[in-house]
Amino acid sequence: MTERIFHELVDAFPKLLLPAIKVTIPLTLLSFSIGLLIALTTALVQVAKIPVLRKAARFYVWIIRCTPMIVQLFVVYFGLPSIGIRLASFPAAVLVFSISVGAYCSETIRAAIESVSSGQMDAAYCSGFTFSQAMFHIIIPQACSTAFPPLSNSLIGLVKDTSLAYSVALVEILASAQRIAARTYDYFWLYLEAAVVYLIICSFLTVLQRRGEKALEARR
Amino acid sequence: MSMLELSHVKKSFKENPVIRDISISVEQGDVVAVLGPSGSGKTTLLRCAGYLSQADGGTVTLDGETFDLHRISKRDVVRYRRKIGFVFQSFNLFGNKTALQNVTAGLTIARKMDKKEAERIGLEALEKVGLLDRKDYYPSKLSGGQQQRVAIARAIAPNPRVIFFDEPTSALDPELTEEVLNVMKKLAEDGITMIVVTHEIEFARRVANRVILVEDGVIVEENDADTFFIHPRQKRTIDFLRRTKWKPEGELLSDEGVI
Ligand SMILES: Nc1ncnc2c1ncn2[C@@H]1O[C@H](COP(=O)(O)OP(=O)(O)O)[C@@H](O)[C@H]1O
Ligand SMILES: [Mg+2]
Repeated sequence: MTERIFHELVDAFPKLLLPAIKVTIPLTLLSFSIGLLIALTTALVQVAKIPVLRKAARFYVWIIRCTPMIVQLFVVYFGLPSIGIRLASFPAAVLVFSISVGAYCSETIRAAIESVSSGQMDAAYCSGFTFSQAMFHIIIPQACSTAFPPLSNSLIGLVKDTSLAYSVALVEILASAQRIAARTYDYFWLYLEAAVVYLIICSFLTVLQRRGEKALEARR
Repeated sequence: MSMLELSHVKKSFKENPVIRDISISVEQGDVVAVLGPSGSGKTTLLRCAGYLSQADGGTVTLDGETFDLHRISKRDVVRYRRKIGFVFQSFNLFGNKTALQNVTAGLTIARKMDKKEAERIGLEALEKVGLLDRKDYYPSKLSGGQQQRVAIARAIAPNPRVIFFDEPTSALDPELTEEVLNVMKKLAEDGITMIVVTHEIEFARRVANRVILVEDGVIVEENDADTFFIHPRQKRTIDFLRRTKWKPEGELLSDEGVI
């Protein structure tokens, strides 16, 4: 690495950090929150065996898991305008990522719920609980400790997947690196620097995951 | 009129009839012991009575109100369950709640009772089972016997009309069995109505006032405890008692005399 490149990378760092803070992190947090709500609903509909909705949930998970996310982004951003629905890059990305998180995490949550011993439900019923009281007070809190590590995985995965939004004209970390490199031709170093920014965010989340697991452990 | 009446309960798993046709009626204050070899359908019977398993047919009448064991509305099943208690072989304490929270959850969450009042009742119930000092322990930090005593406190706290016990001591070491049986004996003395599936013959002999022997999904013999243990009517009862390690006070007598 020459001194010129070193200075260039130091200059570029805040220019990569800014889109991380303004775009990547909000996009991740917003999509993950909405996605988790969708996931919980999708999982509960299946666990509660609600007739039609249960089929609809399976169908949704099937479609989303079996098509590439970048294709979904293209359909939403470039395809929908042809039927009159025009979304800006950011909302289009939020839509696609939320729906994707919803599908994958619903399977995580469903499996976690099903891993709670059926005796817990029996005992809740015999304590006079309704199905939803049992779910929200007894089953889901216990499913949380099982679901937490795989959900953390999904969150970390999502941070990296947001780079796909580059393809729908969202100026996030990767796009910013690409723009800077286009002027200087130091693609190798700038893309490496972009990777480092992702590495920093994900390492931070990894530490949070450890703490979270410890906290959950203490509560039983 | 009896307080609780199960009539013509039937249940098969696939083609396998597990409960052929069982009717039991229980008076207020009764302690009914249900005996029988394993696999005879005792757990299934209790699970059907608690609507944890769907029976193929039969009814349950509690305080004069009759419910179909095969079909029941969501409202009725919750209403019915709030009048019964259930103690499981494997305790099934809520893993995410402390001992006290296990006891009060049914009061505050299910029955919407005031928190303070629920806590007072909860502490009283824990005191009754001798575990006041463990009130803030999570189930994973309690011994099996302690867990089962908390489960009993949880069952009695809402003051149910009847409590079903499914082999409450079968998962326990002998020295822990005793502490649980003592608590149950106390409940019996307090006049709590109980139906107890058990292999503890001595407990049935000393504490139950009525005893039922179930084999292959039917009732072989149902009698008051003295008759059941001293003058059993059925040969199969005598055979069953012989097979257990229980030692009768005297000879087992049939109607015809010593056998
Ligand atoms: N969920 C189930 N599915 C199929 N068969 C079952 C199920 N539960 C119990 N059985 C069968 O029903 C019979 C009675 O079981 P159970 O009621 O547990 O007997 P007990 O409690 O008297 O030992 C057994 O043969 C058992 O294999
Ligand atoms: Mg059993």
